Amino acid sequence: MKKQKMFLKMITASLIRRRSRMLVALLAIAVGATILSGLVTIYYDVPRQMGEQFRNYGANMIFTPAEGGALSQADIDEGLTCIPEDNVVGCAPYRYESVTIVERPYMAAGTNLSEVQKTSPYWNVDGAWPSVSGEILVGKNVASTFALKPGDSMTLSYDILSPDGKPATADETRDVPTRDMTFRVTGIFDTGGNEEDYVFLSVEDMTALTGEEGGFDVAELSVSASSEELQGYADAINSKSIPLSSRLVKRVTQSENTVLSKLQALVFLVTAIVLLLTMICVATTMMAVVTERRKEVGLRKALGASDASIIMEFMGEGLLLGGVGGLLGSFLGFAFAQAVSVNVFNSSITFHFLLVPLTMLVSILVTGLSCILPVRSAIDIDPALVLKGE
Amino acid sequence: MFFRMLKGALFRQKSKMIMIAVTIALGASLATAMLNIMFDVGDKMNQELKTYGANITVVPKTSSVLNGLYEMDEAEETTASLKEEELGKIKTIFWAFNIVDFAPFVNTTASLNGAQVKLVGTWYNHHLALPTGEELDAGVTSLRSWWDIRDGKWIDEQNTDSDRVAMVGAALADRLGVKAGDTVTLQTANGSEALTVSGIFDAGGDEDEQIYTTLAAAQRLSGKQGQLDSIEVSALTTPDNELAVKAAKEGPASLTPREYETWYCTAYVSSICYQIQEVISDSVAAPVRQVADSEGNIMEKTELLMILITILSLLGSALGISNLVTASVMERSNEIGLMKAVGARDRQVTGLVLTEILITAIFGGAVGYFMGYGFAQIIGHTVFNSSIEMKPMVIPIVAVLIVIVTLIGSIPAIRMMQRLRPAEVLHGR
Repeated sequence: MKKQKMFLKMITASLIRRRSRMLVALLAIAVGATILSGLVTIYYDVPRQMGEQFRNYGANMIFTPAEGGALSQADIDEGLTCIPEDNVVGCAPYRYESVTIVERPYMAAGTNLSEVQKTSPYWNVDGAWPSVSGEILVGKNVASTFALKPGDSMTLSYDILSPDGKPATADETRDVPTRDMTFRVTGIFDTGGNEEDYVFLSVEDMTALTGEEGGFDVAELSVSASSEELQGYADAINSKSIPLSSRLVKRVTQSENTVLSKLQALVFLVTAIVLLLTMICVATTMMAVVTERRKEVGLRKALGASDASIIMEFMGEGLLLGGVGGLLGSFLGFAFAQAVSVNVFNSSITFHFLLVPLTMLVSILVTGLSCILPVRSAIDIDPALVLKGE
Repeated sequence: MFFRMLKGALFRQKSKMIMIAVTIALGASLATAMLNIMFDVGDKMNQELKTYGANITVVPKTSSVLNGLYEMDEAEETTASLKEEELGKIKTIFWAFNIVDFAPFVNTTASLNGAQVKLVGTWYNHHLALPTGEELDAGVTSLRSWWDIRDGKWIDEQNTDSDRVAMVGAALADRLGVKAGDTVTLQTANGSEALTVSGIFDAGGDEDEQIYTTLAAAQRLSGKQGQLDSIEVSALTTPDNELAVKAAKEGPASLTPREYETWYCTAYVSSICYQIQEVISDSVAAPVRQVADSEGNIMEKTELLMILITILSLLGSALGISNLVTASVMERSNEIGLMKAVGARDRQVTGLVLTEILITAIFGGAVGYFMGYGFAQIIGHTVFNSSIEMKPMVIPIVAVLIVIVTLIGSIPAIRMMQRLRPAEVLHGR
């Protein structure tokens, strides 16, 4: 009992009396721990955060109708049940119909325009996205053909099918009944792809234009998941008895895989090297602080202290310093990771509680190890020599 | 006397000075490695992002534009096309060095066993020897890196004499029962060609229903000798800023001469497009938004991320160094007390200690720079399979950083030294 009391007294006394030195040691440990917890948090968070950035490349999964049918909203919704809701960034179904604009054939797509903004964030729209019925988004090529500007109006004509269900043939062109609808152009978009030859309107307007509710031809999905997870979702959907088949957009998934793995490897290596060097820095500072106390070790040995008790005391100090420094560092590190996340990705991260004991453990280990080396060398020396000052 | 004491301190307290030098070297190596990686990560990621394929497409000025301009109201489609002989000029533009790959395309439809299929002629690994002396293998082998070759292999233009080879899309091949090594006979109004199937590819897109062949074979079949339908260009670009957006929106003509010069001489995707249009007659070069925009976005994020990690590690190594310097000066209070007791002035003691530490710092910093070089190369080779370019500007940054950090680290120690009362220290309290 008495021995324990003495032990505690010696540790606290040395911490309090040698305040400035201990502050130096604590600071060193806290800095090391901050870097450790900050970088590890970032390392774990980067794939998720970057994965979201990669969704800029647009849809990475598509649903197509099975054999010659059409997709219904119910089928799509059922397919979506196989994918965790939080992972779905957007799902835009498209219904393509041919229309004529001033006697020229064009493709019009009826879709959910707010979802398109999510699945194809790279569309560069001059003007605004349509928000109410009767508004239309026009591809750059179509717009330049008819010299359209945002705010202009344009008329789409849809050939009503003849009773036998086939579109009118060429020689009856004159008599083909058409349904005309006038739309207000809200925006003109360019993508650098085929979409520039199309016009986009809402599903409701498409139904009004064609006079019938038709199914969708394709649905584009943007899902934030790794390519293995995506393949899993696609297989799960295909194995269900829904009349649709899902497949991955290889160009997007494959390339994302390549780039993301490089990025992760980069952050991993950087983290490893920074940690290694920081730990060595912490160790040398601790060594300097402890080496200073060789005289104290010698004195205590001369008074009859055993090697074990001396090592125990230094370890106790190291434990305390490492624990406090680690605790301090794990919170500072989280603050740093949070700052990075907010500044770089505009989103916050969750606090990993497991990192607190981990950081503390590593700091205790590093401090303990770096204390032991100089103490051991002090113990090995004859106390008389140390005290004499050689 | 000053120098003798300096020499004495440096050599007699060897182990202590080595420890300081080691810590400074570690800090310096960390700073060097991180700064170099930070400056180079943009270029490296840019290269990696090339797996997404071309970011610029070049097409002929469409007939509709011509019709609109000159009121030529005749045929539906005037077959505008690009000229094959002008292809090489792409590598002569101002930013030629940033053009990493490109491929021309000719599209046509042909009948195969009575069914209509889409045929695409292009380059695969076409060898280009440029007038500048540069050599380049251009083509879709790298522009379509995500294609999965299921059976057989990519068309190898450099090792096959015949241009009568083809690759068939997986979906089409399944329907027709075609395997690598088979021969498919394609027929158009311009004749027929028997093509040997080199491989079956799975592209996960519309291409799975198409046949890809060499440029020459497709030109013969479509009757478009010497003509091209489109060109895809993969270029390293700088993320857009306000100037680039303004140029893209209002046209280069809206820029002031000074702005124009800056814009033209920066590798924005819009300025590269503009330069391509200058060399390829009657062409429109447009960025592929899906690739070009996302690229800029991801690069920006990666660079910002690396900058923040670099700042953290710089702060860490700075604190580490100044900490050690403080600790090591503190432990010499005895010696300093003695110096003061025999009549040294504060300024002299400070000067001596600072010189000692700075000499150690310069030595450690130099070693650290080369260590950092090593670390940067390890990272470069492991992650990107290429070495990290060492920017000369890193050297002064690291040097200034080390000096400032050691000086700041010495401040608490110097203040302590000046407050030190020799009698107290020597007495041993």
